[in-house]
Amino acid sequence: MIYIFTALYCEAKNLIRQFHLTKNPENTRFQEFYNEKSGVRLTVTGVGGTAAATAVGSICTAYPPAEDDLLVNIGTCAYIRSADGQQSSFRDREGIFLCNQITEQTTGRSFYPDMLYRHEFQEASIVTGMSPWNAGVDRVVGRDAGCDKSEDGLAGCDRAGTGDAGCDKNRYGGAKLHHAKTGALYDMEAAAVYQSGAYFFGPHQMAFLKIVSDFGTAEGVSHGQVESLMEMNGDKLLAFIGRLRVISDYAGESDVRLTCGDKAVETLCRDLHCSRAMRDSLKQHLHYLALAGADVCLLIQNLYKEGFVPCRDRREGKLCLEQLKQTLF
Amino acid sequence: MNSLNKHFFNPFFSHIYVETAVLEHPRTRCILSKFPDANVIEIRHYKDVFCRSRQRSTWQHRSQKLILAAKQGTLVYEGAPVCQSFGNRYFYYVSCAMNCVFDCEYCYLKGMYPSGNIVIFVNLEDIFAEAERLLQAHPLYLCVSYDTDLPALEHIAGYVREWCKFAAVHENLKLEIRTKCADTALFEQTGPHPNVIYAFTLSPQALIDAYERQTPALSKRLLCAAALLRTGAPVRLCFDPMIYVPGWKDHYAQMLKQVYDAVDMDKVVDVSVGTFRISRDYLKHMRKQEKNSAVLWFPFQCDNGYCHYPAPLMEEMERFLTGRLAEKVSKEKIFRWKI
Repeated sequence: MIYIFTALYCEAKNLIRQFHLTKNPENTRFQEFYNEKSGVRLTVTGVGGTAAATAVGSICTAYPPAEDDLLVNIGTCAYIRSADGQQSSFRDREGIFLCNQITEQTTGRSFYPDMLYRHEFQEASIVTGMSPWNAGVDRVVGRDAGCDKSEDGLAGCDRAGTGDAGCDKNRYGGAKLHHAKTGALYDMEAAAVYQSGAYFFGPHQMAFLKIVSDFGTAEGVSHGQVESLMEMNGDKLLAFIGRLRVISDYAGESDVRLTCGDKAVETLCRDLHCSRAMRDSLKQHLHYLALAGADVCLLIQNLYKEGFVPCRDRREGKLCLEQLKQTLF
Repeated sequence: MNSLNKHFFNPFFSHIYVETAVLEHPRTRCILSKFPDANVIEIRHYKDVFCRSRQRSTWQHRSQKLILAAKQGTLVYEGAPVCQSFGNRYFYYVSCAMNCVFDCEYCYLKGMYPSGNIVIFVNLEDIFAEAERLLQAHPLYLCVSYDTDLPALEHIAGYVREWCKFAAVHENLKLEIRTKCADTALFEQTGPHPNVIYAFTLSPQALIDAYERQTPALSKRLLCAAALLRTGAPVRLCFDPMIYVPGWKDHYAQMLKQVYDAVDMDKVVDVSVGTFRISRDYLKHMRKQEKNSAVLWFPFQCDNGYCHYPAPLMEEMERFLTGRLAEKVSKEKIFRWKI
């Protein structure tokens, strides 16, 4: 399943049509659309970090993602600068960007989705702020005092992390937005989607796709313009999501399972009079045997055929289990 | 999954994360120059990327990323009890890189690290300085390729050459460079050093095919070891970890035949033998990552936080190999790992 989150309905409209999604009328808090067949669930979160985080948490609690499911955040954003500090023309910055670094403006924390999958987009870092970006007025400033600010107002703290062993949290401080090859984008949801999504997804399961709508003049962008941007890039988005689905489907199918199913194993446990510990041990041995290529069903059938099971009591069951283990090596 | 790789996954090292503190380091610049097409992402600290929660190293191994960082805190570690000291009193190891380009299913690094990406610490000189400080107090047996396969990273980092140069001017230092690499040209370039032991990890070809993804074939490793021996370099052969598979005895017997055909065993410094064992915590983490791995889902026996094959099987496997090796190598040269 692919979980898509957009902030606005106009960002979602084209995707809803392309994936033939149906609205879930039972969800009264967020506009939720799904299509079980195409394996897509799209949610319109509303604008801003709080709304986005709430929507991700709410949807993923209601429909807990599996290990091979993926989260995709799609939306429009502002383009705030290029790598060399030069303002680019809109034409240079049109198209879809895949975000490789997401920085939360208020805390300066950065997040890094895995960049595992092939794509045809440009890559960029993105800053998530609390309000729309106003070019020439707003500054992206980190939280830590003492951070150097570059001329364009972007915070750039030179202090390196201390590297405490076992620490898995990002360091706080002013975010250095400079990306060696590309520029930086600005939106209002990506960091929140990442942080909320991280409760349910790993970094390899999240992708953030952004389409530039303005250079810091969000109030001048109409819903119609956003819709048209989404339509213009619809095929590319569809193709990328299609590829993600292939990966997700493939990974989901690759788990080795016991061919005889859980029922036969449960019956065997019952007939061996297994305690909890015996049951766990038996299941692990059978799992190993299946992975090692043994025919576990045949093995269980033989236990019955040769009269080892059903056992009269747990004592006999224990002996039988030990005998089964001996057959391993 | 392999069929997916080409079309769906980015190439290896398509992205390189660099700590701000080492962005201008000469070694960083040198490494980056080898990847002109890579996306370079500046980060505050390597753990911001390396230690993210819920990473899936099996997926990351399809498209590994490189992280360049500065090693801080402890730079030289005392040898762990599960590692073979080969009778050396001052047994230490360093971690100048973390993780490996090879993708061995049973590798303890997958249990130890939260990520499948590779970290290279560019401040090698700081590690040299710490080693020199220890060398002033006592001799040192230093393993430099434990948390990675250093020769396999040579084309990126060049650390084998650096360590060899360092060893050449420190007589009371004995280095071990453990590897599954078979880069004969590299070892020819570094030349033989009496205090640099090249330790080749060997497995039967059937196990290499099944569990040691992207590693060189046994025959290539042996060719490389033999070439090194001919130059007079000290070579160690590590039959560790031995992995249980049905028919293991045949596989290991066949492997030994191949070893004896290729390598002059009289010239080998020593050999090590040990069956697969791992910390319980690492195993738990690895099983989460590799749900279909017969090697990892073996019903191990756990004692004092370590998981290993049931004692009779472990004994049988190790005795078998040490017994066969004793036919060619004197017993004092055979080091068998003990719990």
